[in-house]
Amino acid sequence: MNERRVTGAVLVLLGAVALIEARRLAALREEMVAGAVVGDDTFPWIIGASFLLLGLYALFLARWPVTHVSFPGGAERRQLLTSAAALAAYYVITPYLGYTLSTLVISTELYRGMGGYRWSVALLIGCVTTGALYLMFRVWLLEPLPTGWIGI
Amino acid sequence: MDVLSHLAGGFAAALSPVNLTMALLGSLLGTLVGVLPGLGPTAAIAILFPLTAVLPPVPAIIMLAAIYYGAMYGGSTTAILLNIPGEVASVPTCWDGYPMAQQGRGGVALGVAAIGSFIAGTFGVVALTLFAPILADQALRFGPPEYFALMMLAFTAVVSLSGASLSRGIAMALVGYLLALVGMGPATAQPRFTFGFEDLYGGVDLIALIVGLFAISEVFLGIEEARVAIAQKITNIFPSRADLRQSLPAILRGTGIGFFLGLLPGCAPSVTVFVAYDVEKKVAKQPERFGRGAIEGVAAPESANNATSSAGFIPLMALGIPASPPLALLLGGLTVYGLSPGPLLFQKSPDFVWTVIASLYVGNVILLILNLPLIGLWVRITRIPYGILGPLILLLCFLGTYSVRNSMFDVAVSLVLGVVGYVLRKYHWPLAPMVLSFILGPLLEKNLIQALSMSGGSFLIFFQRGLTLSLLVAAVALVILSLWLMRATVRRVELAAAEGAELS
Repeated sequence: MNERRVTGAVLVLLGAVALIEARRLAALREEMVAGAVVGDDTFPWIIGASFLLLGLYALFLARWPVTHVSFPGGAERRQLLTSAAALAAYYVITPYLGYTLSTLVISTELYRGMGGYRWSVALLIGCVTTGALYLMFRVWLLEPLPTGWIGI
Repeated sequence: MDVLSHLAGGFAAALSPVNLTMALLGSLLGTLVGVLPGLGPTAAIAILFPLTAVLPPVPAIIMLAAIYYGAMYGGSTTAILLNIPGEVASVPTCWDGYPMAQQGRGGVALGVAAIGSFIAGTFGVVALTLFAPILADQALRFGPPEYFALMMLAFTAVVSLSGASLSRGIAMALVGYLLALVGMGPATAQPRFTFGFEDLYGGVDLIALIVGLFAISEVFLGIEEARVAIAQKITNIFPSRADLRQSLPAILRGTGIGFFLGLLPGCAPSVTVFVAYDVEKKVAKQPERFGRGAIEGVAAPESANNATSSAGFIPLMALGIPASPPLALLLGGLTVYGLSPGPLLFQKSPDFVWTVIASLYVGNVILLILNLPLIGLWVRITRIPYGILGPLILLLCFLGTYSVRNSMFDVAVSLVLGVVGYVLRKYHWPLAPMVLSFILGPLLEKNLIQALSMSGGSFLIFFQRGLTLSLLVAAVALVILSLWLMRATVRRVELAAAEGAELS
């Protein structure tokens, strides 16, 4: 996949989105503030046009050197993907399980996945981390964290 | 005389046992939270804010200000030792601080950061005390066209932050602007770029952006590189004479830049540190040393950071305008206690104002006394194995992002940007222009709209006012200079590489 072409296409797309939104905002300005020459659409017009020009430049004129990027494989890739998946799961389960229980589950998984610790050790460190964060943020600082169905 | 008698009264109150304890506690807590990777002053103030709610106004604001100062210092520790900026203002510190740590000079980098912060912070507070009324008057003369021109001047830093490709830097800056546009429009208060999602009405949060792009992506890169924290023993934190000789001019330049730009409302440390770093690179005899452990690359932005933070108290107190997100939280703290920052605050609550100003002197001294001997303790926190530290950073990133606005949406934004930041960094796309334009975007837009409204849509307004025109000319000159220096540096590096090849 050519990085320059992908970038150019993305920039043109972003420019189109900005210009469409600018057009909507311009109509809204004329409707709400009669006679106003500038408003919330001014900057989107500028940004949209700049994106479009830069995208076309990237597609047809730019001479970028080819960047050779190697993404990790094997165990490192597994670690990376499981960490990202754990974070996504953390976001999904927190409103339901509450901050404390979710943190226990996810921290155990992260210590297991990233640190390579045995389940028992990961669970122990997870419990200590969750307890420390609970004491510091919930008990001491009274941070209003999501409590979920269980209420903790 | 009037100023001195007010300040003496302020010191008498600031040195009372309760206020002194709050300044001490705030400095310690701020540093403790700031030293945790991914958490900067804004998150630190946001997290520790509930603690101050039980206090009377004066000790509460003193504690909040001390948390701010402490967290800023703590942020430089993680920037230097872990390459993780807790806030945008620490990004330039990473560029040379982390290479210094890799070369075994982490202690010296931390020492220079502490000394630079102390000098700049003290200078800032002295100048604040002496010139506050005069400078506040000057700031009042700045209209929207002048602010727009000033933002354009700050925006020129994008050129030198772009790395090897200017077009990539501009593209990233545009993405930053686009993200800044999300939310309610400043003119009509109508949603834009929200596409019907109510969560987007509040806009993209700066902390979510920073945590995602810099902290989460850093952990992902750390996994890939099987990184270990810099495990060196920090034995010497005091810079040598040669180090001091090299860094002192940078500290003074950084202080000057940070303070004078910081006087203007809207010019946050996140802008001035980049300008200070940029200037330092431009005046250096060997600019190619920057990014590879140049001590001036730590001294200048750290000094500018503290000088701007001190100077930021002037527009905050005199005009009620916060120059940065942490100061916006401090502004929130003032209003919680029924105090209205603005010109009337000096008249209505002089005792309060001068006590807070005196406490800034005290806070600077406390930080220097505490942090130089305690560097070892803060460093020990970073010696934890990456298998423990990585998950802990991610858990704290989650918590830090959530705590700013109590929003799960912000958490989602930071997670998505974490992945995006990882991919962009793999392809060597510069992230700093994106963050810079995200901060400047709303200010630039607000002032552009106000200026054009003043002129009935005519852009001539920017060329008819002396100060505006001067700032715009300076911006153009800076762009030309930056481009010339960028090309000269590339040529110099190519020449050095060719000479190296010939020798081998």
